[in-house]
Amino acid sequence: MIKVHVDMEKCQHYGQCVFEAPDIFKLNAEDRLEYLATAEDSESANVRAAADVCPMQAITITE
Amino acid sequence: MIVGASMGGLRTAESLRRSGFDGEITIVGAEKHLPYNRPPLSKALLAEDKELDSVAFKINTEELKADFILGNPAQSVDIENKEATLSSNEKLSYDFLVAATGLRSRKMDFQNLVESGRFSLRTYDDAKRIRSSVATGKHVVILGAGFIGLELAATLRKLGCSVDVVAMETTPLAPIIGELFGKEIQKRHEAKGVHFHMNNSVKDLIGDSFVTGVILGDGKSLECDIFIEAVGSLPNTEWLEGSVLDKSNGVLTDKTLRAVNSDGKVIESFFAVGDIARFPYVNQQLPARRIEHWNIPIEGGKRVGREIANAANPGSVGDFNPTEQFNPLPSFWSDQYEMSILSYGEPKIADEIELIKGSLDTDFIFSYRRQGALVGAAGIGLRQELNKLRNEICL
Repeated sequence: MIKVHVDMEKCQHYGQCVFEAPDIFKLNAEDRLEYLATAEDSESANVRAAADVCPMQAITITE
Repeated sequence: MIVGASMGGLRTAESLRRSGFDGEITIVGAEKHLPYNRPPLSKALLAEDKELDSVAFKINTEELKADFILGNPAQSVDIENKEATLSSNEKLSYDFLVAATGLRSRKMDFQNLVESGRFSLRTYDDAKRIRSSVATGKHVVILGAGFIGLELAATLRKLGCSVDVVAMETTPLAPIIGELFGKEIQKRHEAKGVHFHMNNSVKDLIGDSFVTGVILGDGKSLECDIFIEAVGSLPNTEWLEGSVLDKSNGVLTDKTLRAVNSDGKVIESFFAVGDIARFPYVNQQLPARRIEHWNIPIEGGKRVGREIANAANPGSVGDFNPTEQFNPLPSFWSDQYEMSILSYGEPKIADEIELIKGSLDTDFIFSYRRQGALVGAAGIGLRQELNKLRNEICL
């Protein structure tokens, strides 16, 4: 399992991570980011890509 | 060999390793710092006076196994013999070279050469210099009403400075996102107390040992303690002088980001990534262009890493299709006060701009079309609506 953490102080809800890992990240009805704190290993590449494209660099992954 | 210890350079190296490349990777940089994220320089880093570690990219050194040579920029390259020379005169040979040297701030040519109190913003060191000079009550003149100029205006207002923005265009950002959008942003800045001097310029600086003001193009003058130039950037291609590359504006590449020489011949061992890469459109009938958006080095680095890993060991990158054309979707964002602007595509190539959702005084979305096809979408707020348009954009 991979641990996913988003620093919500930094996050500006741009939702770029949603495009890369839609099963882990989503924008809710109020356009706020929601995410799963753990992900299957098979999501590793997607979650890393999500962390790369985060404009605020707010996503940390522990594998 | 990756020239440029930037985000593009780092993403290229990461992509190489993730694609199974097991050769040596050397990353050469002009700055003495490891790769860091530049967008916060005009925003959080400046506002909160944070240190480098708050913007440094997390690097998995074990996985990356790259050799960083910092504070020692490349000064020339011999493409035929595959050898680069660093400023220290050290020579390094390579099998593949990735040029990711990015941009530097464009500087105005003033008669008055006074340096103290005159700033531009591109690097961490630039941001720290600005920060050490600003304080509540200081008067700042910013030349340029692009994204950097406006983000600086917002941050410096937050820090209690008085801010004047001088720019040659009629409306801030209008050449990039259109007249109405730009006008609205100007209005919101004015509501925060920023003064705009549009259709104007800075003719010269005033001050002997430090800047005390500026003389505007219309003859008026403004007093200031701090003058910041935010008048765009120039590609760092001096180290390529004397090479056969087409470097008329950045480094011209083909649709795989391989560099092209002045005769149109593709150089198999030489790639360009990020702000300096001038790459062709896939669908639009327009000349190749450089794109100075934050996500372009990420997309380019990813592509070139896979490209090189595959070229070094053909067929090794299983799902890689070498004939696929590089066609990233540019995106940028900008935080100013409580405004979060987000843009996809290339709004500036549009011939038709339309407000399609919301209203200007709150949240809204503009669509940008060229010959009927969607080439961009941008707005403030309405994130999910805007994100839905992203996949319809065709460049």
